Amino acid sequence: MFAILHDYLALFLVGNWPHGPLGGVAITLVISALGLTVSFPIAVAIGLCLVSPCRALRRTAGGWTRLIRGVPLLMLIFWAYFAVPLVVGAQVSAVTTAVCAIIVYESAFLAQIVRAGLEGLPRGQMEAARSNGLSWLQSMRYVQLPQALANMLPSMVNQFVSIIKATSLAYVIGVPELTYSAAQVNTITLTKPLQTFLVLAAFYFVLCFAISRFAGHLERRIARRRAGLA
Amino acid sequence: MTMLAFEKVHKYYGEHHVLKGIDAVIDRGEVVVVCGPSGSGKSTLIRTVTRLEAIQQGRILFETRDVHARDVRLNQLRARIGFVFQSFNLFQNLSVRQNLILGPTKVLGLSRDEALARAETLLAKVGLAHKIDAMPANLSGGQQQRVAIARALAMKPPLMLFDEPTSALDPEMVQEVLHVMRSLADEGLTMIIVTHEMGFAREVSSRVWFMDQGQLLEDAPPARFFSRPAHERAQRFLQDVLRPSPRELAAAHSAA
Repeated sequence: MFAILHDYLALFLVGNWPHGPLGGVAITLVISALGLTVSFPIAVAIGLCLVSPCRALRRTAGGWTRLIRGVPLLMLIFWAYFAVPLVVGAQVSAVTTAVCAIIVYESAFLAQIVRAGLEGLPRGQMEAARSNGLSWLQSMRYVQLPQALANMLPSMVNQFVSIIKATSLAYVIGVPELTYSAAQVNTITLTKPLQTFLVLAAFYFVLCFAISRFAGHLERRIARRRAGLA
Repeated sequence: MTMLAFEKVHKYYGEHHVLKGIDAVIDRGEVVVVCGPSGSGKSTLIRTVTRLEAIQQGRILFETRDVHARDVRLNQLRARIGFVFQSFNLFQNLSVRQNLILGPTKVLGLSRDEALARAETLLAKVGLAHKIDAMPANLSGGQQQRVAIARALAMKPPLMLFDEPTSALDPEMVQEVLHVMRSLADEGLTMIIVTHEMGFAREVSSRVWFMDQGQLLEDAPPARFFSRPAHERAQRFLQDVLRPSPRELAAAHSAA
């Protein structure tokens, strides 16, 4: 096992780069980070719709998130694989396709986190802001969202963990991410599939565990600050 | 000159009839204290003035404009009516300074410097100039409520509403808040105050409203209200709230 790790470390970490496209852990992290950063503002917008006083907006956003959350990510990836080139009218790389699918998928999940964060605030915050003459949008922007987002930070980081695991599905459309690297190693070594995929599991675990610990750390810090100690 | 008028105001929470035909008028410069047993509709009444609660019948006229009319510019209206809550509701993510300048800059369009000058003056007035950089969570209840009053005043509203401003406070902090409110009354600001502080009502108010079960039973100057309330229900209420507590009785006893 350690021999596999030792011999193919570069393949696991960066794929065939610099001779080929960036792959392995590196591209997994790039896809995840890109997915999270782009889906975040979309999720905030959908989340605002979910709590808005306008019923049509609430209904539409609610229907959309329910639809996306009721569909497997793998299906979205397949769907994006065929749909995105049609929409864009040009060839699109597998990585871009995967990122698009993940953005659509994650923004629906994050939107529900945003909604929960906003609904979890004391009602008096909104009442005070509106009584001060602020519009609904201003009150969201200056008072509620900053509080909700600070409270949501740990959930967001945990969502990042789930995105990292979800990127393994991009393997099926040929994105050279971490799982793809493992499959490559497996083809080369041929006789050691159990060990190879155990190494793969270890990579995912180390990544996700580290990030979860970071989320836990954030959570404790926020709790301390709320208690007025920091 | 009439500042606020209630005309046959009715409100229902589903089947529950919370306000049963309120008719009343408040002139500029008046300080009206609203009292009554809990659940009598006092808080609901003042919350309808800024449309924090809807009404089902009647009209509320603020400066002759119908508050609940469909075409009213709600945010402009609210900017002209200050509201102080029982639970302070300072913006938790913002410092005292930012709490005070948010409304003036975003709603009234003041420059940051103008808003800041206004904030400093008001904080000095409520005795909290040294807390301008503090976060709400690090202030005592009494301090938070005084900041909340300053935040409402920063909009320069001609009318201020107070919804049980001292009910959530420890006893030793009640006076500091009442002191600020008393000075506002002395300056001639028009105020409606829902409170159980009967001593304050007697000294500061120009009129006392007594509410029970959604009705405005009594509307009288404090001298008359406290000496000879017209309604039997108000007499009983006054006996209950003015009856000295066991501790006061014991203190009086040992003194004698």
